[in-house]
Amino acid sequence: MTYDLVVIGGGPAGVAGALTAARAGLRVALVDSGARLGGQYFRHSAVPGAEPGLGRFLRQGRALGERADVLLRHQAWSAAREPDGTLVVHCVTRSSSAPGGGAGERTVAVRARRLLIATGAYDRPLPFPGWDLPGVLTAGGAQALLKGSGVVAGRRIVVSGTGPFLLPVACGLAGAGARVLGVFEAGVGLGLVRQPLLALDKAGEAVRYAVGLARHRVPYRTRQAVVAAHGEREVEAVTVARLDKAWNVLATRVVECDTVAAGYGFVPQIELGTQLGCETRHDVDGSPVLSVDAAQRTTVPGVWAAGEPTGVGGWRLSELEGRIAGLAIVAGHGTAPRTAPAPSTDAAAGPRGDLTTARAPAPGGDPAAAAGRPGEQEMPGEPEVPGELEMPGELEMPGEPGEPGVPVVPGVLVRRRARWRAFGEALQRAYPVEPGWQGWLRDDTLVCRCEEVPLARVREAQDLGATDARSVKLLARPGMGWCQGRICGYAVSCLAGEPPRPPRRPIAQPVTLGALSESGEASDRAPADDPPPHPNPRRSS
Amino acid sequence: MTHPDFLWRNPDPKPAYDVVIVGGGGHGLATAYYLAKNHGLTNVAVLERGWLAGGNMARNTTIIRSNYLWDESAAIYEHSLKLWEGLSDELDYDLQFSQRGVLNLAHNLGDVREGRRRVNANRLNGVDAEWLDADEVKKFCPIINVSDRARYPVMGATLQRRGGIAKHDHVAWALARQADAYGVDLIQGCEVTGFEITGGRVTAVETSRGRIAAGKVALAAAGHTSVLAERAGIRLPLQSHPLQALVSELLEPVLDCVVMSNAVHVYVSQAHKGELVMGAGIDAYNSYGQRGGVHVIEAQMAAALELFPIFSRARVLRTWAGIVDVSPDASPIIGPTPVDGLYINAGWGTGGFKATPGSGWVYAHTLAHERPHPLAEPFALDRFTTGALIDEHGAAAVAH
Ligand SMILES: Cc1cc2nc3c(=O)[nH]c(=O)nc-3n(C[C@H](O)[C@H](O)[C@H](O)COP(=O)(O)OP(=O)(O)OC[C@H]3O[C@@H](n4cnc5c(N)ncnc54)[C@H](O)[C@@H]3O)c2cc1C
Ligand SMILES: Cc1cc2nc3c(=O)[nH]c(=O)nc-3n(C[C@H](O)[C@H](O)[C@H](O)COP(=O)(O)OP(=O)(O)OC[C@H]3O[C@@H](n4cnc5c(N)ncnc54)[C@H](O)[C@@H]3O)c2cc1C
Repeated sequence: MTYDLVVIGGGPAGVAGALTAARAGLRVALVDSGARLGGQYFRHSAVPGAEPGLGRFLRQGRALGERADVLLRHQAWSAAREPDGTLVVHCVTRSSSAPGGGAGERTVAVRARRLLIATGAYDRPLPFPGWDLPGVLTAGGAQALLKGSGVVAGRRIVVSGTGPFLLPVACGLAGAGARVLGVFEAGVGLGLVRQPLLALDKAGEAVRYAVGLARHRVPYRTRQAVVAAHGEREVEAVTVARLDKAWNVLATRVVECDTVAAGYGFVPQIELGTQLGCETRHDVDGSPVLSVDAAQRTTVPGVWAAGEPTGVGGWRLSELEGRIAGLAIVAGHGTAPRTAPAPSTDAAAGPRGDLTTARAPAPGGDPAAAAGRPGEQEMPGEPEVPGELEMPGELEMPGEPGEPGVPVVPGVLVRRRARWRAFGEALQRAYPVEPGWQGWLRDDTLVCRCEEVPLARVREAQDLGATDARSVKLLARPGMGWCQGRICGYAVSCLAGEPPRPPRRPIAQPVTLGALSESGEASDRAPADDPPPHPNPRRSS
Repeated sequence: MTHPDFLWRNPDPKPAYDVVIVGGGGHGLATAYYLAKNHGLTNVAVLERGWLAGGNMARNTTIIRSNYLWDESAAIYEHSLKLWEGLSDELDYDLQFSQRGVLNLAHNLGDVREGRRRVNANRLNGVDAEWLDADEVKKFCPIINVSDRARYPVMGATLQRRGGIAKHDHVAWALARQADAYGVDLIQGCEVTGFEITGGRVTAVETSRGRIAAGKVALAAAGHTSVLAERAGIRLPLQSHPLQALVSELLEPVLDCVVMSNAVHVYVSQAHKGELVMGAGIDAYNSYGQRGGVHVIEAQMAAALELFPIFSRARVLRTWAGIVDVSPDASPIIGPTPVDGLYINAGWGTGGFKATPGSGWVYAHTLAHERPHPLAEPFALDRFTTGALIDEHGAAAVAH
């Protein structure tokens, strides 16, 4: 009836975690709302191109498809624990043969003993006058259109925001034939090069993008940003400002264009974790993320998280975390899911400091697999680009697998994760959002587009005594509309002068009443080798 | 207008008050308002541990009606409804009180009998009530599915035309503004943690912002009342449950009345902006976490969609829960307690929003005169020892 593991999210983190577990013999299901695996970084069209690393990812995806149930176009809207401890992920999927209304939506419940949350992140936008005009997109949105559907968002495009992830967006758009009129980085941009950590691996990539921008003659300007968009019915021009250190406007000029792609960092998607009661912490950039231990375990027994829900640091970190989670899940497989938060012995500092230690392997399971011998856990695929994924020395495993106290996550992975995390945190530190953006807004600038709440209303709510984002919401309604604060939540928190709070959304993604009403008797998605599930008796009221 | 254009003060607590009201929801604010207005008592504080009206007052589905079965209930709820009818003028604030009619559906012969009996009882008590058969229901609310093949066929309904909805935050703001204008201190971020009781009489409350002496202490803490009362050594016959509701995306106007179905535990209205507001039954387990399980509302939504097939594609944006305090007979408890000077007003359960002005009115009177208002008298705590219960469970233990 139940899987050993269900993974939510088919980006680098989810695929690595699912594949690691499936290769060790666990019955795994992976759900993703997209039509194809890939997530944000490896998003690709039906006929994939030749982006670096994509071939390898696709092979992982295929290997996963052979060993696990990959449920695409499945949107998870709720994760909950049943009284017997089973975790159930409620999904909706569109299918033409759906029984009964619901806009062709069908509900599917996936049950498992363990859950890995790998739901990635989405762009963090900042409001500015005119950001509600057609033609203003998030950077990730423009990239997704291009990578997923081969659609170039506009002809004359301006990219603005902060952080190195603007570069691939600009490169991609320019490479696809758009005229990219500039990348306006509100911070100091490549100053990161001065960060010693960058010297590690990331430099190669930054150089690649710099070359790409040069080839297409895309200007890259730091301490500049789009502070307003203009147009009658859609974007016709933008105001680009020169900024001081705190992002106050020093001087402006107008640039004619038809599209703006803007992004100021990321919002990790952690709703499914907070639904289950996972504890959160604030990342360096203020984003609430799920707290995890050395084995990627959240504070809720049986629930792991990997990739951007635990903090943003690029796809390599996501993949690595997914893999570590997979190894830890495999190691714990066969032992009953704990009912209390991880006992201290589990993540105890081993002889090498930060190692995670194993329990006994699954009875009857392959001890080598269960203990996660790295040689066998390695992703299938082409020989690794040296320095990109593999490090010499990784294959060493001290001790015999299966013995209590044996590391299940090879130390080299743990150390590498520490390095990548430090890198991700350094990135966040190097590209902070400075408060001066609040001065870009006018009284009538919509802060919340769904409920059409202008800045003036937010300020009035504060005059009324609202000192936190929640009270602002109660008085002025930002975040009460369609997106439930996903877009404006960060900005409203900044305006209210507090770090964003973890989301409290019992429904992770809007779902139709039809789907909600069916979820009580949703068809169970069960591993193929199981007997068909009994239909759920209808709940009597 | 989405928010008030006025301020209330944000005072620090004084060392002592004549009356300290614990809980700044609708009932606490209404009590403060009527204490000042009807009884001239203004040395009063409302202590709220969070922000004003952020509890059930912010979470309820705002159905207002007075068609309760028993004389005692009909009297107090009808008193409240009459107050609603003049409240926008009185408070000088548009409460968006809309008397659009409330339908209570009957799905089986038992419901029909109960509904007709209720209509008669209501009329005898001067409460407007009508019985509609299925065709009349369809005429009154065309989008209801009255097909007799439905799992919950509609066999008729009671209708109270004077019932309806109001905008809950406007109600809270308007009451707060008036209470503040009378000089009542509305103190937010001030949690009551205990009581000082000397010689059987309460003399002060302990709070997160220090000790505050009080001539009288009036509990108005809804779902948290029993926890508080226990700190004063009183065990109340109340159970706290999460009650859930949800809101959809905005729709064009399609539903211009309130529809309730006790048998299937759902009630639906369309708010002024266009979103559907739907409530469900209470979660069966006791809890203080303001978050209900999604599984609890699935069956109810299935039933709701059978009544309103047209809504199946409406997207749910959010669900939430409030903690409601349910008494054994589903009626409130109003009046003095075994501790002198300590009063309670609780047990409004799933249906206390509609009572906001009426409850405040009788509670203020009870506090001012140190004896129950005649309308409150039947709702005394001792009915659970005398056995004079006022059973308003109705068809299925929901009374919104
Ligand atoms: C504009 C942009 C440019 C970037 N450029 C780079 C770069 O150059 N280099 C780099 O290293 N990183 C880059 N990143 C970051 C990179 O995308 C991420 O590091 C990587 O994709 C994260 O992998 P992940 O597996 O954690 O999450 P994702 O890749 O985001 O995967 C999450 C998956 O979960 C699915 N999902 C989420 N919620 C649900 C749900 N409720 N139900 C079902 N499925 C769900 C999503 O559909 C998605 O497929 C960029 C990001 C953006 C937005
Ligand atoms: C989902 C839902 C739907 C509902 N629908 C309806 C409906 O349609 N019609 C209807 O009539 N009723 C309805 N109700 C019931 C109605 O909301 C309540 O009966 C009513 O609001 C309770 O009174 P109140 O407003 O004073 O409560 P609250 O607003 O909950 O006020 C109590 C206050 O006390 C505070 N408090 C608690 N403990 C302490 C302490 N120790 N110190 C200081 N302060 C404290 C709380 O923070 C809270 O603000 C519904 C309730 C819910 C949850």
